[in-house]
Amino acid sequence: MKLTKARALILIAFSVPVAIELRTVAGFFNVELPLIAVAVIEFLFLALLFVLYGLYGEGSESAA
Amino acid sequence: MATASGGGEFVDKFPDEAAVIKASFLIAFVSLGIGAFFGLVQALHRTNVLRVIDSADYYTMLTGHGVLLAIVFTIFFLCGVFHWAVARSLDRPAESALFSWAWVGLMTTGAVLATIAILGGFVPNLGMSADVLFTFYAPLQAHPVFYIGLAMFIVGTWLSGADWFLSYRAWRQDHPDERIPLQTFMVLTTMIMWYISTLGVAVSVVFFLIPWSLGLIESVNPLLTRTLFWYFGHPIVYFWLMPAYLLWYTVLPKLAGGRLFSDPLARVVFLLFLLLSTPVGIHHQYLDPGIAEGFKFIAMTNTMFLLLPSLLTAFTVVASVEHGARQRGGKGYLRWLGALPWRDPAFTGMALAGAMFAAGGFSGMINAGMNINYLIHNTLWVPGHFHLTVGTAVALTMMAGSYWLVPQVTGTKLYSRPIGLLQVIMWFVGMVFMSNAMHRAGLAGIPRRTAEPQYQNFEFLTPIGSIFELRVQIALGGTLLFLSVVLFLFNILLTSLGEESDRPVDSHLPEPLSGPEGSPRILDNLAMWTGIAAVLVVLAYTLPLAGIIQNGGGLFGGGLPVPATVSAGFDLVLTTVTSAFNTLWGVVA
Ligand code: HEM
Ligand SMILES: [Cu+2]
Repeated sequence: MKLTKARALILIAFSVPVAIELRTVAGFFNVELPLIAVAVIEFLFLALLFVLYGLYGEGSESAA
Repeated sequence: MATASGGGEFVDKFPDEAAVIKASFLIAFVSLGIGAFFGLVQALHRTNVLRVIDSADYYTMLTGHGVLLAIVFTIFFLCGVFHWAVARSLDRPAESALFSWAWVGLMTTGAVLATIAILGGFVPNLGMSADVLFTFYAPLQAHPVFYIGLAMFIVGTWLSGADWFLSYRAWRQDHPDERIPLQTFMVLTTMIMWYISTLGVAVSVVFFLIPWSLGLIESVNPLLTRTLFWYFGHPIVYFWLMPAYLLWYTVLPKLAGGRLFSDPLARVVFLLFLLLSTPVGIHHQYLDPGIAEGFKFIAMTNTMFLLLPSLLTAFTVVASVEHGARQRGGKGYLRWLGALPWRDPAFTGMALAGAMFAAGGFSGMINAGMNINYLIHNTLWVPGHFHLTVGTAVALTMMAGSYWLVPQVTGTKLYSRPIGLLQVIMWFVGMVFMSNAMHRAGLAGIPRRTAEPQYQNFEFLTPIGSIFELRVQIALGGTLLFLSVVLFLFNILLTSLGEESDRPVDSHLPEPLSGPEGSPRILDNLAMWTGIAAVLVVLAYTLPLAGIIQNGGGLFGGGLPVPATVSAGFDLVLTTVTSAFNTLWGVVA
């Protein structure tokens, strides 16, 4: 499946609630996540999406 | 459901209706713009990020925000959608264009008067203000112009309903044996619910609030005006939701590439809302001391029953969308989600709105529980909840729906789909920030309807993160939401200024997978359902109202309140009925 702009945007959108409540989820497992960790994780996710978009996004050669 | 009227776009086929719809949308969107601006100012003000107004003016603004968005924007948009749906599904114009313009005119005049009274609060020496919030019950008092405007607005909505019933009656004469087309069925059941429920505010406004604000009567019974407000205040949430449901049931499946799963199920859902919307209003008054606990318990039970049509809707709509995705080649348990037309802002906006509605439903269950309600009552949790429901499920569906509906009434192509897509996603993200933080702030005890919820010698505490973070999230979310509205308004404005096109949008609506033929005819017996709804309302409200009148010192207050018991209301009903019977007996004998 091609990673279109629209699909990428949707994935970004749904990553926001997950990121915001990540500390709560971690709290269930007695892990105290600092805010900066959440920021880093979200940043890594966005970076990953960016790379994937470059590889499989609209206009790329290798798109399946 | 009648198939799309063969040949010709809506605007060519029904030019008069298209003009009425355009006017309704225009007023809705102007209100949306002003209301969203007020929302931004509030969000920045209460979080102490930026304070451009005096805190003393906060309530003026908050009233403007609530009234312009929750009453004017939503209802004008609803009128546009319903006018479109009736003409389209009956395939006939309204009986009289003049009559249609009459209700548009009356509603507009009423809305403008109420808005003037509210905005008057910003001008110190004017002597006119209406800082009563969108719930406007006593003891807060507004300038008479506010109530008169409201009354005109409501009478306008009654006339709009009459317009659709007249269309239906004319259609019925030509089609004596056919089932009511689904969209018209949805409009008519919604309007019956509206007639039943607006009776409460009409009584409150005409008999109590207007005479009181004019000084004709000395006092009112505040609990009575509150109860009459909430008698209408819960059904109004379904009045907001039903146009969104209409779009989810009849348009969203098509946008997803499929068809509605079941027409009869949709009818059952609308009937359940007609029956159950009104006898639940007391669930907004769990903390009102003047109402006996037993009545609150009944309201809670009825409320829980409302979960049923909501879950039926979730099932039907998701199943229809999944069907669409599979038509488009989607496979797997979850992978079909990727096959949906995410590029289309009308689809994506409605789908995101539906997803947020699910979250709003969960927080609504907390509100509805009589005991757990005490935890969040009057805290910021509550605005957090209803910005997911009316503020997103309804508002975002209306904005997304506009991308598909507006071209049908203007005859012009949507100006930009990518901007539309960005807009709906921005709304989603902004609302995730704002609403989630509001819920959390409410759990920490931060009150709603407060300009400066910052206190000396007292700190609110959060289990995770900090209050500071929540404040930042609310401010950030509010800013994104406001920018989203700006994008929306520009996109729509440029659309309406665009060049006429032969086929501005694919407006064909396919038949449902399972049509109405097999379903019982009794579903279409509107008179019977109206009767049952009325009986339920009488059962749910007679005793509480009688108790409130008796315990609260009479119809117009003034007497000394006494503690609420179930039996007090019962006594009043009993004495009223016996004395009425005795009088009658005296006349007969
Ligand atoms: C630009 C987007 C919006 C922003 C930034 C926003 C912000 C806010 C804030 C911060 C409050 C809470 C004020 C307080 O309790 O002190 C509020 C209240 C409210 N909002 Fe919004 N809002 C937005 C959109 C909407 C929409 C679309 C609707 C409905 C269609 C809506 C309906 C309401 C209502 C009914 C209240 C309660 C007013 C009251 O307590 O009397 N808002 N809004
Ligand atoms: Cu309610």
